[in-house]
Amino acid sequence: MRFIHIADVHLGARPDAGPLYSEGRARELWETFEHVLGVCEEEQTDLLLIAGDLFHRQPLVRELKEADYLFSELTHTKVVLIAGNHDYIGKNSNYRTFRWSENVYPLFGETMQYADFPELDTAVYGLSYHSREITEPLYNHVRAAGVRRHEILLAHGGDDRHIPFDRRKLGGAGFDYIALGHIHKPQVLERDRIIYAGALEPADRNDTGPHGYVKGEITNQGVRTEWVPCASREYIHLSVEVGAEDTTGSVARHIWKLTDEHGNQNIYKIVLKGKRDPEVRFDVSRMAGGRNILEIVDETGPAYDFERLYAEHADTILGRYIGRFRGCREGSTEYEALCEGVEALLESRRQ
Amino acid sequence: MVITELYIRKFGRLSDRHFYLGRGLQIITGDNEFGKTTLHAFIRAMLFGLDRGRGRAAANDDFTRYEPWDEPGVYGGVMRFTCGGRRFRLERDFARYTRRASLVCEDDGEELSVENGDLEMLLGGMTPGVFDSTVSVGQLKSEPGKELAEALADYAANYYETGGGVYNLSGALQILNGKRRETERELRTETDAEDEVRTDLQREIRYLERDMQRLEAEYKEKKERLDDGQAEKKEAREKRGTGKRHGKRQGIRSALPGILAVLAGAVLAGAGAVPGFPFPAGKEIREAVLLAGITLLLAGAIILFRKIWAVRSAGRVDEIPGSAAVPAEDGEENRSRLAGELAHIRAEYRDRELRRGNLREQYEETGKSERRYRLEERCRALALAEEQLKEAAKLSGDGMERRISDRMSEIFARITDGRYRSVEAGRSKNGFRITVWDGQRRIPAERLSRGTLEQIYFALRMAAADVLLEEPFPVILDDVFAFYDDKRLGSVLQWLGSGREQVILLTCQRREERILNGNNSCGKEEFQNEDKFA
Repeated sequence: MRFIHIADVHLGARPDAGPLYSEGRARELWETFEHVLGVCEEEQTDLLLIAGDLFHRQPLVRELKEADYLFSELTHTKVVLIAGNHDYIGKNSNYRTFRWSENVYPLFGETMQYADFPELDTAVYGLSYHSREITEPLYNHVRAAGVRRHEILLAHGGDDRHIPFDRRKLGGAGFDYIALGHIHKPQVLERDRIIYAGALEPADRNDTGPHGYVKGEITNQGVRTEWVPCASREYIHLSVEVGAEDTTGSVARHIWKLTDEHGNQNIYKIVLKGKRDPEVRFDVSRMAGGRNILEIVDETGPAYDFERLYAEHADTILGRYIGRFRGCREGSTEYEALCEGVEALLESRRQ
Repeated sequence: MVITELYIRKFGRLSDRHFYLGRGLQIITGDNEFGKTTLHAFIRAMLFGLDRGRGRAAANDDFTRYEPWDEPGVYGGVMRFTCGGRRFRLERDFARYTRRASLVCEDDGEELSVENGDLEMLLGGMTPGVFDSTVSVGQLKSEPGKELAEALADYAANYYETGGGVYNLSGALQILNGKRRETERELRTETDAEDEVRTDLQREIRYLERDMQRLEAEYKEKKERLDDGQAEKKEAREKRGTGKRHGKRQGIRSALPGILAVLAGAVLAGAGAVPGFPFPAGKEIREAVLLAGITLLLAGAIILFRKIWAVRSAGRVDEIPGSAAVPAEDGEENRSRLAGELAHIRAEYRDRELRRGNLREQYEETGKSERRYRLEERCRALALAEEQLKEAAKLSGDGMERRISDRMSEIFARITDGRYRSVEAGRSKNGFRITVWDGQRRIPAERLSRGTLEQIYFALRMAAADVLLEEPFPVILDDVFAFYDDKRLGSVLQWLGSGREQVILLTCQRREERILNGNNSCGKEEFQNEDKFA
């Protein structure tokens, strides 16, 4: 039995994807979703498991029709899905009334149920969110009922407000495979057995790193899985270390080189760190250079030797001012106040 | 430290000039435009170097001002000085491409490194800032529109509050305040943008709600029609049933006179027409009876006919209003069409409702951007910096204030020949104020003459130099005494001549020389100006 496990597709979301790609980003989420269905069709995958949050919010009828049409085109694959905390089944949810194609098996109950696939000797268990948050650990007491040889759990959540669960209890629940959704970063909780597929495409500016889906096979020997990257873009946070010799121009050129190396299809956030020449102020608005950069944050500090300044100017206002901030942590508000004050005092000498 | 020789290779208007200097009071006299200020700048440049400014600031910095316009490749000179009992030779080249500095101890030939801070060591921590605010003295300048007394008060306040006048407290506070205002502006732009997103969402929600209201009204109206149609049809069906019965009975009743008339007419006419019927009134009466009978018959027939006609028309009118009027199959189609429309409206309504729910969720999720958090943080940091700087100024003032104040009073009393006993300076609720004490009255600075204000200023700077500097340093006075009368000038020169290691006095007047020559008490190290190197 071969399956593909996806999660957190977030169709309908419009994530900020930088100046170049934000416009078409909503469409890209659909395209990648279609791509996965294409893989299912091509490889005649038996089951497509969707572990919640197929939609970013309450799906509209036309969106459901769109998705169902794509499902209906699958000649072999059967689709099992649950609703997550984003597309939870509210009282007006179209999930309640929508008529799916025959090969689609929604597990939309509030309590655990399963879809039976006798031809695959497989049962897929799952429940759906009927509210945005569920704080009860609903999965902790779930057990595979043993109705079929292969039993799979579709589960969504894992943080405090979204069905927290005990990983070991889940591991001991008797399922061959547990397809997890909700956490956008792909991660394996137990090798080949309990896996967060991660968001299919990064759906938020903080969804850094590669994204894709899990492809697996359950045989009598057990489960084998592999993670397949397929997202069209990646959010990349880069930290750029600057030195006292750097200027806006030199930093910009360094950023361009880095983004070119990492690929211009990606979406960047750049954080400048380190000590700059106190005389230099970086103009981050001039550093993008047509690259797809969401944001450049200047966290650099002036290259002052505060201890030395303090020792040499203890008698003056400069020394006393520095003295008032002794022991403050770099990066704190106090540290920023220290830098600004010293800079202003030193600048005032030239007036 | 004592400067013993200045050689200017090229610096501003001066070129190839030598000045030899000794200990004590050294007077360099020159007419206006002779280059006294240039010489002053040269000493400063030799001591601290001459950095080129960056960007726009470079247009009028010292480097550009004194760069020789005819021969920019030659720009610099030599300074000889003694320090700690040893003699040194400092040579600097300020030119753009050949810039360098060399420092040699002439006693043992040891080469020192300016780059590595050897010169700074010799200067004993003297920085350009300290130099400018202590030993390098010009005339008291006030900003345009500002009273001189006020300028002096500002100046003194800065000395006290920053610990020596190197820093400009109000300037620094202004810088911080400007930055904070700028950040607040950015913050406003950011929150405005966020608000706009929220307003857009709210507007969309309102559109949807208006749509929902419209759909609701439409639904109600269609629903009523559907319900009405059904009720009407039922009613019509009932009406038709009873109407028929009702019509029949009514028809018979209303047709009675007609029927009676017809019957009576027929009887009469029949009687009249029967020849054998005996009529007592003869033939005329028989004819009359026949005529009346026919008339009655006809009238009855007309009444009857009209009644029947009326009943039939009434039946038709009955059936016209409402859907019930159309044939039964048409009515069904119409109703199912209406029902379909209602279902559609209901679906549309739910679609809007769902979208509104989604938008509301989105609205709830809108929050502060990371950028906004950062800008708020920066505002807080800048406000904290201002606050702490003011606190530090209070602290600096406390210890420094007394020492500078005491020394200043001492110098001021000396140079005014005891005319005034002391100077008091301090912050009151009306701002920083300076007063002088003449033994009887306390006189506020704004009531003093320009000359006296200049003397307070001079005393303040000399006091600061004494308090702040660990090593004695040459005092450079650039046309400071123009407003002094001869008596006070005599006193100040006497004060300068006694006890100071070296004072370089740049002046455009011969007054100082004359007074020194007339008053031999401090003329022993008198210096002749404009010694030119052969």
